[in-house]
Amino acid sequence: MILHTLNASPSSAAFQDCLSLLHAKDALVLLGDGVYAAVAGTHAYEALQGSPARVHVLLSDALLAGVNPNVQGIVPIDMEGLVSLTENFPRQQAWY
Amino acid sequence: MLHRSAFDNEGFLRELSDWSPTVAEQLADAEGIALTEAHWEILYLLRTYYDEYNSTPAMRSLVKYCASKLGADKGKSVYLLSLFPGSPVKLGSKIAGLPKPHNCL
Amino acid sequence: MRGSGKNAVLMVFTHSPYGSSLAGAGLDAALASAAFEQPVDLLFIGDGVLQLQSKQDNQALKIKHMGKVLASLPLYGIDRVYVDAKAVSRYQLDLDASLLATEALEPDKMHKLMVDYDHLLSF
Repeated sequence: MILHTLNASPSSAAFQDCLSLLHAKDALVLLGDGVYAAVAGTHAYEALQGSPARVHVLLSDALLAGVNPNVQGIVPIDMEGLVSLTENFPRQQAWY
Repeated sequence: MLHRSAFDNEGFLRELSDWSPTVAEQLADAEGIALTEAHWEILYLLRTYYDEYNSTPAMRSLVKYCASKLGADKGKSVYLLSLFPGSPVKLGSKIAGLPKPHNCL
Repeated sequence: MRGSGKNAVLMVFTHSPYGSSLAGAGLDAALASAAFEQPVDLLFIGDGVLQLQSKQDNQALKIKHMGKVLASLPLYGIDRVYVDAKAVSRYQLDLDASLLATEALEPDKMHKLMVDYDHLLSF
């Protein structure tokens, strides 16, 4: 079980590295420039839909970027939700 | 003799290339150490270490390096401590003109 | 692998050696940790594998040679070093000529390795 955080745009190497290491029981939180991977219909979004991991987007960052946080397959969370995720996952991998 | 400005406020040489045996004598003198053949062997080893690994050693890595280059008898912290009392890495590096080690207390 | 339950730490490097200060900071952390008898294992993913490029040459620019620092890891008791096999072939790195002994892993194996540690530190 790994909690991944992605703080880099979908065109980054970080996104590709992260994508290849998402497994079932993992969770991914999109934050900072990572929120652009939540734009429905994009390659990045489709790629994430194809991954077995649970995907979240940080609400405040999505709203700031003008990205709709309420899209199918992605669960928006607030800062409190992010904190409780970090408590539930023993290890965290930051992609940036 | 190098001017004071060649050293930082802790007495470490600022420029690796400013070092010479004379500078080493000057640095050792300030630390109250009379350099012997055994000291020089370690000082040159420290210079080689820095050249090879671009970093100032820690006690652990220096002991291992000494063991591989000078033999098991000298690859011991007691041996290094007998030459450079207190903190061999810090003292040795200083006299060898290496930058101040920052991963060592 | 060191196995879990022993506060085992895997340091994960994902950035190139000179593009940012991350590689240097991570290496310093690894060396400091090992100097205090807390050895860590290392995993280089994606651009991180570029740190293992053996032909780095810092003669023209007076900055620290990251490859040389990496080469000192075994002296600190750090000898479990893993690399992203896909990235290695993508960058056509010759690991045999590399600065230190490594084990190349496919993504599934890398994930398996990562979950075997208690803590991951990303640099």
